[in-house]
Amino acid sequence: MPKHIVSGLKYLTAVELIRDGFSQKDVAKILEMDRSTVSHYLNGRNLSWNSIEVAEIITNFCSKDFLTLTYALLNDAEKTRIIIKTCSKKTYQAKVEDSCIGCGLCADTCLMNAIILDDLKAEIDTEWCCGCLMCGDVCPTNSIKISEEENGS
Amino acid sequence: MVANVKEVNAKEINVKRTSPEEKRELTFKDEICVGCGICEKICPVQAIELGPICAIVRNGAEESKISIDEDKCVLCGMCSSACPVDALEFDIDEKNIKEIEEYPKLIKNAEISDEECIYCKACETACPRDAITIARVLPERTKLVTGEIEIDKDTCISCGVCEEMCPADAITMEHHEPTSAEPTVSSDINVDKEKCVYCLICKKSCPVDAIKAVCRSCSYGEYDLNPEDTEIKGSSFIDEEACVDCGWCQEICPVDAAKVEKAFEGELIIDQETCQTCGACIDVCPCNVLSFPSPNASGDIDEKVKSDEKYCIYCGACENACPVEAIEVKRTDIRHTPTKSKSWDKKLESLKT
Amino acid sequence: MELKVNQDNCLGCGVCVVACPVNASISPEVAGGHGSKTTETIMMVENGVIKLFSRDKCTKCGTCQLFCPTDAIWLE
Repeated sequence: MPKHIVSGLKYLTAVELIRDGFSQKDVAKILEMDRSTVSHYLNGRNLSWNSIEVAEIITNFCSKDFLTLTYALLNDAEKTRIIIKTCSKKTYQAKVEDSCIGCGLCADTCLMNAIILDDLKAEIDTEWCCGCLMCGDVCPTNSIKISEEENGS
Repeated sequence: MVANVKEVNAKEINVKRTSPEEKRELTFKDEICVGCGICEKICPVQAIELGPICAIVRNGAEESKISIDEDKCVLCGMCSSACPVDALEFDIDEKNIKEIEEYPKLIKNAEISDEECIYCKACETACPRDAITIARVLPERTKLVTGEIEIDKDTCISCGVCEEMCPADAITMEHHEPTSAEPTVSSDINVDKEKCVYCLICKKSCPVDAIKAVCRSCSYGEYDLNPEDTEIKGSSFIDEEACVDCGWCQEICPVDAAKVEKAFEGELIIDQETCQTCGACIDVCPCNVLSFPSPNASGDIDEKVKSDEKYCIYCGACENACPVEAIEVKRTDIRHTPTKSKSWDKKLESLKT
Repeated sequence: MELKVNQDNCLGCGVCVVACPVNASISPEVAGGHGSKTTETIMMVENGVIKLFSRDKCTKCGTCQLFCPTDAIWLE
């Protein structure tokens, strides 16, 4: 069952990537799949309809659940990042207040590898931020403010 | 999610966190700690608690001077930056943050100039932390006093007067009980020329004029003496771990060879009325700033506790120790390297009182 | 860490009572060896042995332990 769901997620990601202009060969490389498998997926083959349905439900979960479930299913940080980034329906703004003490807990916690420290302050790359808010939960000084960007971009 | 790991070994506490990105490590050395409590004040998550300093320092209690809660500690490194005696060291990927420019560090230093130092050892004696070692090589005595001396062993009557009178203990006489086979009291007498200073006391006191001696040093005067022969050579070493930059070496040095820069500027205020002369402050002070003064006459009370701020580093250990709140330590300036982090700057400035 | 007494070891000499700086700031008469009894001080000699009264005022300076000749009062 889990591997069917994984297939579903990879399918949805592949579809999005193609829509974004990547070639099938690119998609195969990014998702570490055979190019032929990618082709089959896009033509609706080798997937039970249930997989796609379940995967779609998962992409509609709140960001934290989508992220943590995907990570648990794949157990692969890199692929999880790509799937989340590609299938995320929303984009986020991140602000780190001056109260940040540069302890690095957020950077260690972020599964999307979206946070680095610069001059003792956390910097969040909103390209990769998925809005799961786990960094904010762990911040000892409450310095992280993440908000959804208004649609229309 | 990575958790902190704490290890406590004898007098050392170690807290570390290892993630795929980096390794952060905080080390606390108890013997360096002076109990100032600055780490407790600056910690942004209240993970540090000051222990019972008086009981530890005065009564030998076997407890750590601070405790660190590894569940609260976020390994930010602020305590290490603020510690005035470097009892807390913080490394990121094996590199000390005091060597990382982004992290602010206190500006403090103690050094002894090799050129000016005359190796008198006053600083070594005065240092309250035994942090200074002076090694010195003295000139050879035989190059500074010269002369000739000879004891005529035939004339010598082995009275031992010269041996007793010699101020340098340079004369040694062999003593034995006479026998009928050997009816003498001494078989030999010798002068150790390494010790002899040609004072001629032996010659003057010998009752039978058995000693011939002359001193050449006076006729040498200072004209023929090679200045290289009078040089005292040596080296100085300050153990940076033990040094707290108190300034005793600077103040006591007779030739201004020691220079100390202090991290904190401030004021030490003792309320002599409230003070009950328990001596706790004197015992905990790492810099010998405080003492009980001797009265000039019986019954004459000047001050209960005397202080000299020349040696004070404004750490505040005395203020913490005082059981009746008779001491106030004000910090008016915190000298530290700049940092772009507003939170760190704010926290360091908050040490001002 | 708290203040402890062992009444069996205590000689009732009262040196700790006099030496305690908190006692002296609360009641100079008691610290001087005279004065009416008051339970406001940390400890007092009662019936020939030391007894703790207002133990929570103790700031753990350790002065009493330093002066006690028989290890009858200490911080632990």
